[in-house]
Amino acid sequence: MKKLTRTSHDVQQSAPEQATSPVPGALSRRAFLKNSSLMAGGAALATTVSPVMMKKADAAVTSGGKTEEIKTICTHCSVGCGIIAEVQNGVWTGQEPAFDHPFNKGAHCAKGASIREHGHGERRLKYPTKLVDGKWQKISWDQAIDEIGDKLLEIRKTSGPDSVYWLGSAKHSNEQAYLFRKFAAMWGTNNVDHQARICHSTTVAGVANTWGYGAMTNSYNDIHFSKAILMIGSNPTEAHPVALQHIFKAKEENNAPVIVIDPRYTRTAAHANHYLKIRPGTDVAIIWGMMWHIFENNWQDKEFIRQRVYGMADVMKEVKKWNPAEVERVTGVPEAQVYEATKAMADNRPGTFIWCMGGTQHTIGNNNTRAYCAFQLALGNMGVSGGGANIFRGHDNVQGATDLGVLSNTLPGYYGLSAGSWKHWSRVWGLDYEWVKGQFDDGSYEQSKGKDVHVMNTKGIPVSRWIDGVLEDKANIAQKDNLKAMFFWGHAPNSQTRGVEQKKAMDGLEMMVIVDPYPTASAVMPDRKDGIYLLPAATQMETYGSVTASNRSFQWRSKVIDPMFESLPDHTIMYKMAKKLGLDEQLFKNIAVNGEEPLVEDILREINSGMWTIGYTGQSPERLKKHQENWGTFDYDTLKAEGGPANGDFYGLPWPSWGTPEMNHPGTPNLYDTSKSVADGGLTFRARFGVERDGVNLLAEGSFGKDSEIKDGYPEFSDKVLKKLGWWDDLTADEKAAAEGKNWKTDLSGGIQRVAIKHGCSPFGNAKARAMVWTFPDPVPIHREPLYTSRRDLVEKYPTYEDRKSFWRLPTRYKSIQDKDFSKEYPIILTSGRLVEYEGGGDETRSNAWLAELQQDMFVEIHPRDANDAGIKDGDDVWVEGAEASKVKVKAMITRRVGSGVAFMPFHFAGHMQGENLLDKYPEGAAPYVLGEAANTAFTYGYDSVTQMQESKCSLCRITKA
Amino acid sequence: MARMKFYCDAERCIECNACVTACKNEHEIPWGVNRRRVVTIKDGEPGERSLSVACMHCSDAPCAAVCPVDCFYTTGDGIVLHDKDICIGCGYCFYACPFGAPQFPEAAAFSSRGKMDKCTFCAGGPEEDQSSDEYKKYGRNRISEGKLPLCAEMCSTKALLAGDGDVLSDIYRKRVINRGASAFEWGVNNSKIPG
Amino acid sequence: MRVHTLLMMVCLLLVGFQLQAADPPSKPPELSSIAPGAELWRDVRQRDQDVTGTTQVRSPGADVLINVSGQAWREYRMQELIPLSGAAIAIVLFVILLFRLVRGRIMLENGRSGLRILRFTTNQRVAHWATAILFSILGLTGLTLLLGRSFLIPVFGAEGFGTIAAGAKFLHDYLGPVFVFALTWLFVLFVRDNIPSPKVDLQWLLKGGGLFGKHAHAPRYNAGEKLWFWLASIVGLAVIISGLVLDFPIFGQTRSTMEFYHWVHSIAAIVLIVVSFGHIYMGTAALEATFEVMQTGYCDSNWAKEHHDLWYDEVKDSEEPVPQQQAQPDPGARQSTDSA
Ligand code: SF4
Ligand code: SF4
Ligand code: SF4
Repeated sequence: MKKLTRTSHDVQQSAPEQATSPVPGALSRRAFLKNSSLMAGGAALATTVSPVMMKKADAAVTSGGKTEEIKTICTHCSVGCGIIAEVQNGVWTGQEPAFDHPFNKGAHCAKGASIREHGHGERRLKYPTKLVDGKWQKISWDQAIDEIGDKLLEIRKTSGPDSVYWLGSAKHSNEQAYLFRKFAAMWGTNNVDHQARICHSTTVAGVANTWGYGAMTNSYNDIHFSKAILMIGSNPTEAHPVALQHIFKAKEENNAPVIVIDPRYTRTAAHANHYLKIRPGTDVAIIWGMMWHIFENNWQDKEFIRQRVYGMADVMKEVKKWNPAEVERVTGVPEAQVYEATKAMADNRPGTFIWCMGGTQHTIGNNNTRAYCAFQLALGNMGVSGGGANIFRGHDNVQGATDLGVLSNTLPGYYGLSAGSWKHWSRVWGLDYEWVKGQFDDGSYEQSKGKDVHVMNTKGIPVSRWIDGVLEDKANIAQKDNLKAMFFWGHAPNSQTRGVEQKKAMDGLEMMVIVDPYPTASAVMPDRKDGIYLLPAATQMETYGSVTASNRSFQWRSKVIDPMFESLPDHTIMYKMAKKLGLDEQLFKNIAVNGEEPLVEDILREINSGMWTIGYTGQSPERLKKHQENWGTFDYDTLKAEGGPANGDFYGLPWPSWGTPEMNHPGTPNLYDTSKSVADGGLTFRARFGVERDGVNLLAEGSFGKDSEIKDGYPEFSDKVLKKLGWWDDLTADEKAAAEGKNWKTDLSGGIQRVAIKHGCSPFGNAKARAMVWTFPDPVPIHREPLYTSRRDLVEKYPTYEDRKSFWRLPTRYKSIQDKDFSKEYPIILTSGRLVEYEGGGDETRSNAWLAELQQDMFVEIHPRDANDAGIKDGDDVWVEGAEASKVKVKAMITRRVGSGVAFMPFHFAGHMQGENLLDKYPEGAAPYVLGEAANTAFTYGYDSVTQMQESKCSLCRITKA
Repeated sequence: MARMKFYCDAERCIECNACVTACKNEHEIPWGVNRRRVVTIKDGEPGERSLSVACMHCSDAPCAAVCPVDCFYTTGDGIVLHDKDICIGCGYCFYACPFGAPQFPEAAAFSSRGKMDKCTFCAGGPEEDQSSDEYKKYGRNRISEGKLPLCAEMCSTKALLAGDGDVLSDIYRKRVINRGASAFEWGVNNSKIPG
Repeated sequence: MRVHTLLMMVCLLLVGFQLQAADPPSKPPELSSIAPGAELWRDVRQRDQDVTGTTQVRSPGADVLINVSGQAWREYRMQELIPLSGAAIAIVLFVILLFRLVRGRIMLENGRSGLRILRFTTNQRVAHWATAILFSILGLTGLTLLLGRSFLIPVFGAEGFGTIAAGAKFLHDYLGPVFVFALTWLFVLFVRDNIPSPKVDLQWLLKGGGLFGKHAHAPRYNAGEKLWFWLASIVGLAVIISGLVLDFPIFGQTRSTMEFYHWVHSIAAIVLIVVSFGHIYMGTAALEATFEVMQTGYCDSNWAKEHHDLWYDEVKDSEEPVPQQQAQPDPGARQSTDSA
């Protein structure tokens, strides 16, 4: 009850009263001194950063006071802007710009600038709640955990562990994400996943299979060195606004041309020098069209390709087909524009290549991402500062949650699901591998090379398809039974396509558990009378831990306020749940638990001890806290600390930070950069795909990192390689014991990594990037028309894939959909995207009055021509009916932002369903201020051929006046 | 004495609305009142540009001129403030202001608008600096703490600048020089958007 | 009375000059000329139309980047409305004073008759006084808001005047709509006898209403009264409509709409106020035995004969003796006789 008193009401009332002296007064002296010193030292930044102080403080300066300044990180996107919260007597009273934060220099977008609303939390889910007879009923935590646990155990008995789906979140801290993944493993299932599946899974797969790691290669700050900037399917002005601070710096100071390729004339395009308006879903075509000019004009970096790229010849063969006429026929972009844009990239190197969900969310998403990689490889833009594949991730910790394996196809650190991986992690967890295996269903439902594969080693159902895990005929699913219970642990259902079927799936479940600071649309979509539990989770402002920004930097978040109302931090809820299920002993074997709260630092230490693959090992809690405390000492351009306690480190120890924390690796600011020694953050392309294929050398040729003692390509390091090189004796006796029979990924002492780096080598080898991924359905990326295409004339030449019987445990359709012509009935291409005011499913941001006021209506952008044809006027209510006949009622916004024949909807809204307002179904006082139709209700079937990414950027619809 | 000014760089403003919500945050501005707003011209068309607008703290302030009760005053820093105790909510300042800065919490029958509210350049009002009365009526007084307006400090791209007019001009001049040719180049291809 | 009037006039004139001095021809508000986006701002400002765009903020007018009409409105209010209305009021008061000095109080030629005639029903009198009181309150409160800043702030101080002005605004905004009913009521009751009878009215006018010598025939209402009636009705309608638009800003009126109606309202109201001074003077102090007519409803027979002879002919049958206690001379008359 005590916690309940800290309502927003109280905050609003108390803040002004306390304002008399402590609120602003206490700050003055310190803040003033700090700011003015920054001003003096920051003259060089003046052109970029607004002057902080121009005027002497003339107010009376009071000393002391109870205002605390707490440093934390914005929770709304992967830029990772620093925040300074002012807290007084436990109430969040103010927010100051973090001028000395290396990512944002105090800047924010609308979301970060209003984040103090977390301290009001008026529309939060306030206590554990259960649906009884169609009504929400407040219950205690104990009752909730008890009832949920009993039901889980019952399902486990009747249907097996795979019938419970653990849907995690990119909003978790690293520690929570890791714990969540581990929890699912202890429960005994691979049916665990999170938003990365539907945001950048095709990037991770495409990029990791090209050069080794599936992450943004450089950083936002590194764009300062770019001479050209290309953005495709990316609208950072709305999705990553602070990124524009860095982009403008390059644009203004380096005269870097900005090229935007997008079906919409986005706010980003408005600031571009070149804008190419493509038809949605033609990314491969436009990129090959650009590369046609590169090869035609011999602009490619031949030496770079010779040394560091495999398979470019195959790409060239495919690119040959994409002459300007064909490119214009498929994408709609005339030759001159393509040529100009390409020339701008070729003339201005290094250039960076930025992409987001406009490229990833397609049935051929993995082709798109690999085409982008090939483009950068051709121009030799990889592994250099100012170049790189700057893939802007979405949620604040989607990079971390991905790295920590909250995915149905891997364990933490991309170790995969093989027996060896399970053994590695069992070792880290201090558990018996057989016990872990015993937690799983003992069946086998898939075969590989003619042999049965244990369910523990097969990929689980991806989140994009959980619906089908419920609705599909049991006989067609490669697991024991259908899904019976769903955990939505920080997930908004409206970010997923096929809304109407999703509702049906929700109705079909036996139990839904929603763990979230807000009820989310999951609470109101289904027509259930019971079987829904809402558990109030604390936000990241109410707990602490680390978060990985898009550029792989770790940032430490401090706790700003205590959890509001009856909410609890996610890891505490996990502890309660584990205890009920009898898994607490295993789950927390190496982790201290205070009361019911597991110690965050211990979780991070366990992460450090196991994540060798991607260098999550050097970022100890102590080092991260040191970085947080001294974030002002890191350089705005290079992210390197000059002097100070973190001298020489790169901000946030961007992974890989090799070896043990004691090794003090500074982190790797730019991946694959051979101009630096590995010990100083340099790297080569990873030798991940063998050393040779069909007689062709896959290792780098004549290219190696600075200080490398091996002056050529080399394979990944293992005990054997060390011995062969004669470096074995560089290991200490202890390291030798640990390293025997192990490789750089599994040697828990870190010795192998240490020695490789000592000799200037990348632990993971030095190979070529592959422009041709022979393990994928399309080794060289090719264009394929979307399932729901309006260009029937192109289907024959660019058909989609054949249907698949069992793909990630489920039948998956391609051709059978594309074969049918929907374009007559549904003539308009439908695409979707973001608004700056909202994030993701939007429950949190639509519950923030300061943001919600700025976007009150769900809308659809329609080109004037289409609007006139349909007799629609600006502001009219219209029905947008998707090709699978589900429809949404939204406001028409008539604009030339979209091309004729294309319509766009933002995807953050929820709370209406096919014209029906679900406001009454929210628990009292917990409905967001703004409700609206979910765009994804109208979006249709379609999944990537490698990762099951959903197709939410290209479908068909019909728009009529409502 | 410094003359406080706001400048918004249209080449940089991306309509992210940070300035708008920063203001709401700092002063607990209620729903419906917006001391700052971002206006985009040619929305969705080539040449689209946005500008963040609030009170510009005019030298010969029209609002002050037309106010029937003379509730405006200009501080030594050139900040135009007003006294809510005197304001009668007639709306004249809103008619006269070139920038639509004055805001009213209500728009009800019998011309009841409540007391006018507008951007204070984060300088509070006539009440004692940093008093709770001042906070309730005008929001925080950052200027008295030696800080500048939060909207500009939080602007995502540093498009919005606040501070002494002379210093801002210098910054802007440097930017224009930096921009060099590229500033004049944009839109080359934009004129040919298909569809 | 004369002293007062004079003082008032001087005050008003002075104020008028002061305003003139205080507001030099205004130039556009000074903006930063080398500001970022200066070109854009300049483009935007050098138009004679509002520059509109789109915005996420929903308040009325938020989409207007630069409100150009505001400048014109400011100039109108500060350079024209305030000085001119001040001057107009001063001039009218001066003319009345002059008239008084020249013509003095106009007495009944034949003195009182001791007989009276019913001229106004109670209903009519109530309607008249209701309208008159509302008109005075609205006029005074309106003038307070218009001119108070110039000459009441020095007297009461900013805070004091703030309170007065808030009260004035409150009364003005809430009584304004009541005035609509009062004026309509008045119109209905009085319109019949105010229908112009061109020949008589024209003659009356040509003879200057008989003020300067020759007797002018007049029916129940003379042309002067009729003019006032129609002026009050028509201009009053303008005041009412514009007032309602201003008083109910709940239909999304734009600033330029409001400015336009403010323009209408202020001009119409000043015209009414200025003319009403004449009416008030004529109805109170100018003519002997006039004020009592609206007080009691009865007029002296001689008064009727002298001022409304045609009407007297119609109603002379209803003459009756004046009850004793009611035959009181109006105080204005005594005062003016004393001082004249
Ligand atoms: S949402 Fe992203 S860009 Fe906006 S303030 Fe937060 S971290 Fe920065
Ligand atoms: S309110 Fe308007 S007129 Fe007054 S100073 Fe601000 S911008 Fe100028
Ligand atoms: S914060 Fe800056 S970039 Fe964003 S809308 Fe405001 S002025 Fe423009």
